[in-house]
Amino acid sequence: MKTSHGTTFVSALIATALLSGSALAAPTAISYLTHWSPETVAKLEAAAKEFTAANPDVTVTVRAVPFGDLLTTIRSQGSSAESPTIASIYDLWLPELARDKLVEPAPEANAKEIGSDWPAGVASAASVGGKYYGYPNEIDVYALNYNKKLFAEAGIAAPPATWAEFEAAAEKLTKKEGDRIRQQGFGMINSWAAGVVHPFASLLVSNGGDLIVDGKPTLDSKAAASTFKLYEDFIKKGYTDPAMGTADANTTGPFLDNFVSGNTGMIIMANWWESALKGGLGDRFSDIGTAPIPVGPDGDKARSISYSWLTVVNTGASAEQREAAWKFLSWLNGPSSGKDGASAMSDILLSMGILPSRSSDVTAHAKDLDRDFLAGYVKTLADAKPFPVVLGGQEFSEALQQVIEGIQYGRLSAEEAQANAQADSVSILERAAQ
Amino acid sequence: MPRLTAYRSWNALPNKENTAGPCVRSGGPQARRSSPQPHLQNKSAMTHSPRTPILVMLAPAVSLVGVFIFLPMLLTIWLSFQAWSTQTGFGSTRFVGLQNYADLLSPLSVGRDFRQAFWNTAFYTALSVIVILPLSVALGLMVYQTRVAGGHVLRTVLFSTYMVPMIAVALVWSKLYSPNEGPLNQIIGWFGFDRQLWLSSPDTALASIVLLNVWQQVGYFTVLVIAGLTQIPTSLYEAARIDGANPVQSFFGVTLPLLRRTLLFSAVIAVINAVQVFEPVALITQGGPANSTNVLTYYIRRVGIERAQGGLGSAMAVTLMLALIVVIVALFAFARRGDDDK
Repeated sequence: MKTSHGTTFVSALIATALLSGSALAAPTAISYLTHWSPETVAKLEAAAKEFTAANPDVTVTVRAVPFGDLLTTIRSQGSSAESPTIASIYDLWLPELARDKLVEPAPEANAKEIGSDWPAGVASAASVGGKYYGYPNEIDVYALNYNKKLFAEAGIAAPPATWAEFEAAAEKLTKKEGDRIRQQGFGMINSWAAGVVHPFASLLVSNGGDLIVDGKPTLDSKAAASTFKLYEDFIKKGYTDPAMGTADANTTGPFLDNFVSGNTGMIIMANWWESALKGGLGDRFSDIGTAPIPVGPDGDKARSISYSWLTVVNTGASAEQREAAWKFLSWLNGPSSGKDGASAMSDILLSMGILPSRSSDVTAHAKDLDRDFLAGYVKTLADAKPFPVVLGGQEFSEALQQVIEGIQYGRLSAEEAQANAQADSVSILERAAQ
Repeated sequence: MPRLTAYRSWNALPNKENTAGPCVRSGGPQARRSSPQPHLQNKSAMTHSPRTPILVMLAPAVSLVGVFIFLPMLLTIWLSFQAWSTQTGFGSTRFVGLQNYADLLSPLSVGRDFRQAFWNTAFYTALSVIVILPLSVALGLMVYQTRVAGGHVLRTVLFSTYMVPMIAVALVWSKLYSPNEGPLNQIIGWFGFDRQLWLSSPDTALASIVLLNVWQQVGYFTVLVIAGLTQIPTSLYEAARIDGANPVQSFFGVTLPLLRRTLLFSAVIAVINAVQVFEPVALITQGGPANSTNVLTYYIRRVGIERAQGGLGSAMAVTLMLALIVVIVALFAFARRGDDDK
């Protein structure tokens, strides 16, 4: 009996040791939430696999949701342990996510890396209250895209550089059948906040205006009045058909289809849609040109709006998961994970036509950034103003979207839209600051 | 199929039409006269039983209802008077009185968008009910005719739309509605009608979503009508025919009055379903264009979850709940007045 007890005890000890050993050996599982397309997700998964090969103690799974559901997913899953460990977010959302403690400030080593390896302007968009909250990755900037073939047909030699030329080009490019606009000179997007507000804001800053200055909305300026009026004129003169500009939850839809089909002469869009255009146009992609935003009567030079995306870490994840997440992000955005000194993240971004932001990535991808379509954007970036990142920024953006759509559908005059936009913005920013 | 179960329970309730049917078939009055005694005995036994066991028996159900229905409702009402971020605990709430409700009535964006969402929801609900109910009765009558060949197949086909997942419906209908290449415009073009903008115009977008809803839901309501029709005794039609009533008179004199309870149930369910519309808006239009398809559930989600404004979102939810209560009570009052008029 003694022997039997002793054997059982020893067996139990061995089993416990083996179990705890295997528990220690179990890799830390982290997840990455994004809104990218399946093709791009596959590239991220390949990079994650490579990371796991070098770090067998960490496994990374990728989850994707449509852009329209991304913020809701992050918010609704809160900071629970089941929610994604890493999330890709739009910089406009950061102040509120940081205020609500859903995202973790970067550990010291990572913060140091972010501060030194990214341009100061880009890194600042990833910080709140002097703390970095994530790795900046993509930079997006708006420019005028135009259909060279339609320009040639209309006898327009060069893309418009001023608002007067812009309006003249829109008039020449517009074709009507009775009351119906068959080909619109300039495409305005609707049903998607950034798609509506960013092109408007690009024209506004190119006219010497601003959305917000020192935390106060400045939509009551003369420059803003001219921009609202420009929109109203385009609608009234029939250079724009709002029915051709609808967007869906995946930020594609009729606005893209109409540009790809040659029903839209010009549109203001960000560089990231290069991959969508290539997919829709195929060999005809070379018909698309990129030019700076036309300068308004009150503007001094062509300007634009830029914004960035960053990857953040969930505060609700376990300590091991958070540590693994920062390690993975450092590797993914670092110079050793991609080709020729570029990061794996920059390779993924450039496959979509998105500009990387890390200084070493810009150098490593100098050749790619010089390709026809992107070069126009890169040139624009130097004079771009970042879209204001403030508390209440998303609500501000959605409220402005509604008044701009009011003009697009003839429900508001330029004056009414401007008055509403300013009053809404003051109220939203004041309430958010409380 | 919880709704069908609910419907069966509903129809099991005593009412003029339901009790009339079985009575005719079983010589009713006699049978009914013989039943009161045991019923009274039971009542007497219940009256004399101690109060405690009744409370004990009721406790589980009452507790469940209290915890899962009344408590969340009370919590929502309480939150509607607070400023609160949904990402923080209830301890961080700040009492703001009626401010959230005042915001809903304000001329600023939150008030404008809420009122637009409220009227969009009301329009969507009214149009859905107005179209679905008569259509379901018409289809129900058509399918119920035993002489119609393939009636069962037609019934299955009609009901099948109800079983299609909304994501599939949204994908297909968003393509059907495409103004340029959409088949719907091609079809109406064959009949000489102009191209419609459907989801791309604020004037037609909401009605287009209603059409999609009607297509998906009408089969379910047709099945309800068929169930109601089966409960109407054929002897009443025979009596009406002997009295010289033509089919139209039979419909308005026999069918429609005896379908009253079914139609009331259908109307209540149709209203509740319509008020809760969310998926087609989230999947297809995102509330646009120009806020024309922004409905309350979608807007509450945007405010309460995306913007984390829990107090404001709760005030919207409470307003929606009150509006729904008013509509449902009005429907019952309307039905009761009809019963009293008889």
